[in-house]
Amino acid sequence: MDLIASLTVNGLATGMLIFLLAAGLTLIFGLMSVLNFAHGGLFIWGAYAGVWIYYITNSFLLAIIVAIITGLVLGLITERLIIRPVYGNHIQQILITLGFMLVLQELIKVVFGPDQKAVHPPAWLEGSFQMGDVILIKYRLFIIAIGLLLFLTIYLILKKTRIGLIVRAGVMDREMVQTLGINIRFVFMAVFMVGAALAALSGVLHAPYSGVIYAEMGLEFSILAFIVVVIGGMGSFTGSLFAAILVGLAQAFMAYYVPALSLAVNMLIMTVVLIFRPQGLFKVKG
Amino acid sequence: MILKSMSKSNLIYLGVAVILLILPFILTGRSVQFMITQIFIFAIFAMSYDLLLGYTGIISFGHAMFFGIGAYTTAIFMDRYDASFGALLVAILVAVLFAAIVSFIVGVLTLRLKSHFYAMLTLAFAGLFLVAAEKWRSLTQGNDGFTFKVPEFLRDSTTIYIVSLVCLVLIFFGLRRMTQSPFGRVLVAIRENEERTISLGFKVLHYKVLVSVVSGIVASFAGVLYMLSLRFVNTSVFATDVTIDVLLMTIIGGVGTLVGPILGAALIELAHHWISGLANVHWIFERWIILYGTVYILVVIFFPLGLVGTIRSKLSNGSKQKIPSKKAG
Repeated sequence: MDLIASLTVNGLATGMLIFLLAAGLTLIFGLMSVLNFAHGGLFIWGAYAGVWIYYITNSFLLAIIVAIITGLVLGLITERLIIRPVYGNHIQQILITLGFMLVLQELIKVVFGPDQKAVHPPAWLEGSFQMGDVILIKYRLFIIAIGLLLFLTIYLILKKTRIGLIVRAGVMDREMVQTLGINIRFVFMAVFMVGAALAALSGVLHAPYSGVIYAEMGLEFSILAFIVVVIGGMGSFTGSLFAAILVGLAQAFMAYYVPALSLAVNMLIMTVVLIFRPQGLFKVKG
Repeated sequence: MILKSMSKSNLIYLGVAVILLILPFILTGRSVQFMITQIFIFAIFAMSYDLLLGYTGIISFGHAMFFGIGAYTTAIFMDRYDASFGALLVAILVAVLFAAIVSFIVGVLTLRLKSHFYAMLTLAFAGLFLVAAEKWRSLTQGNDGFTFKVPEFLRDSTTIYIVSLVCLVLIFFGLRRMTQSPFGRVLVAIRENEERTISLGFKVLHYKVLVSVVSGIVASFAGVLYMLSLRFVNTSVFATDVTIDVLLMTIIGGVGTLVGPILGAALIELAHHWISGLANVHWIFERWIILYGTVYILVVIFFPLGLVGTIRSKLSNGSKQKIPSKKAG
């Protein structure tokens, strides 16, 4: 019981982190059919920038804020310099974002050094709650709470506000929204920046969770996010939450019972989804 | 007219091949021969990538996986069984079959979907193979890798040079023949306008899967040759770097040309050699991926036809002939 509970919490926490990464990917894809292979680079920049501030000021809250700002700025740069010149050409987009991913990853090593960095959770999030014989680690609960909070916020923004309406309409039919006189490029840029900020936030939250950060983490983690986007359905926001939790739980349980197969099990889930529901579990209705 | 110009270019290619064939008897240094052999091997690998990216418009981010399959199959067979010619033939057969099966599965799963899926899935699958090679230590000895013997007659650096060159020439003409066949024309049609090709009655999925299988087989064969020249294997054959290298070779050389990737392979291999020599001059050269990545981004934006493509389009500007690969990138 104790084991299952703690593995579940682990899985949910991992799932939330993957969700934060996948949410941006899926919305960006839905809006402009751009698949951003550089997303993992934004993740890792968020992690390093946040941890750097965390080392200096010892304030985790400040680290989170800096990570989000880093994400917003890098998102703007990526959209302007990398994606905009090759709009409308899928092959070029895919190629160029992967190239940018590599540059971002290597720049990390130039700016912050090539070594791994150890990170501990802040004092107020260290330790655990004890409920009966179940031990719940505070930091993991914190991640789950933040993830759910962000999901609800974005969900409400998408469902209840005008800007959310425009984004959802854009996902369904971009050209129609344009004919209604809305500057979809601007909406896209905003969504891209928010997506980048979510990725960076995911990075900085992931740092104390895994205890160590390194430059290659971005690509490794973004593979999980890709799997999630495929399972959840490209463009589906809610789908990415469910798929992320599924992948997170599968990852946590397999990592405990059969560690060698933890990536394989997610690939297996994705393969099954691709065979039977290639559009993903949650298809965006057009 | 077309036939005439074609045979002219064939003559040039054959001439270059003959010069390269004589070259190892002039340049007898082992390290020089080794480096040119590497260029040949990566040229084969890059041509297999060009089939996907250049001719059909399919992007793979996991091409290293096929290269690694060929490499590990050869290494394991040579290590476990005696290093005889027979064992090598079996190893090649298994490597080719294995690559064909994997590329078929990946292709059938994702090629009916948008191009993003293939790029993502190959990236993920390549990651899976990398992890497998690291974890399955009894078979692969993990990250440390292992050395092994190759058949007696292949140990001389001049022999392996000539074997690689002959393979390169044969595969080049073979693939060229394929791309100029009706099959190859359909591939180009898919790249240029997939919906239209479908409406013309072609079963696009069959063509795409078939070309990805051919590409996987050729890449796997390049991995076999790589092992014969290196005689050492570790997990680096599955690394993303290998995929990045082959991407760069194809794009810088010129997509959809087959000659371009050969030229690109030479450029990138020489650049690797040159940059690793510069590592103690300035630290930035240790982070060569930044330089490569930047060049790569600039080429994709400003120079999408690559070297050969750009030269060809300049040459043909005067005449009526049009370059078919305007849209490729």
